[in-house]
Amino acid sequence: MSKKPNYFAVFGILAALTLIEVFVSYISVGEIKYPSLGIIAAVKALLVLLYFMHLRRDSRVYSYLFMGGFALSIPLILIMTIVMPSLYR
Amino acid sequence: MSKAHVSTNSPVVQYDNPKLAMWAFLGGEVVFFISLILLIVFTRMVNGNYEADFRSLLSIPLIAVNTFVLLTSSYFVVRSLDRLHGGEAHPKGMRNNLLVVVVLGIAFLGGQAWEWMGLFRDGLSMSSTYGSAFFTVTGIHGTHVLIGLVWAVFLLVGNARRSYTERDYLSVENFGLYWHFVDVVWIALFTIIYLI
Repeated sequence: MSKKPNYFAVFGILAALTLIEVFVSYISVGEIKYPSLGIIAAVKALLVLLYFMHLRRDSRVYSYLFMGGFALSIPLILIMTIVMPSLYR
Repeated sequence: MSKAHVSTNSPVVQYDNPKLAMWAFLGGEVVFFISLILLIVFTRMVNGNYEADFRSLLSIPLIAVNTFVLLTSSYFVVRSLDRLHGGEAHPKGMRNNLLVVVVLGIAFLGGQAWEWMGLFRDGLSMSSTYGSAFFTVTGIHGTHVLIGLVWAVFLLVGNARRSYTERDYLSVENFGLYWHFVDVVWIALFTIIYLI
């Protein structure tokens, strides 16, 4: 089993990323604003999943079950972001 | 850490059933919350004027603090579990950390209630275009936090009157998975609703 993660350090990174997120939302940084906010949020979610929810050390089966939810959502995402808006225009 | 473990008598990998069930449940919750997030995205794509009609009403500093509160509660959940892990279990330490989680969870819901009251005062209602999507999505998330709070109180009360057992570890771990998932959902909602 790998070494226990430093939970306080993970929490510190999460808090710092939240501050950066809020700062980025207030400043105008052109076209990179939205992608950068999305990437920061994805990194925060990954940190919680990998370290707080222990997916990094736990069995891959748990990761597959969780990621299965994302896979099942792909048709829904396509319908709601491409098909449905085109019907409303 | 109650990882999947290999039986000494059999090459078959065995999993903790409650934990496996919790992950399967969370996989289903992913679909549920993605459909709710899509409700917000779709409303924005079809109606436009998100900034003027809705986002200008939101208090980013208040919700940033609320986000910090929920992240902190996740840290205390992991500390709580950590007290039951390793060579020697410390049920009292687990309970103390869980108590902090309950307080922070109540603070989060209080912050959300404060935000909702402000929005109602500003004229946002369930019948408005963005109001209906916003109150539905954040309300369902808040309900998940409330369920987590009730679960945490049950763990506190249940563990207060007896000594620590291995089963307690699994029950706290499953609660932790649920609570962290609610945190992950909030990370997504905070970015999509409030920042983008």
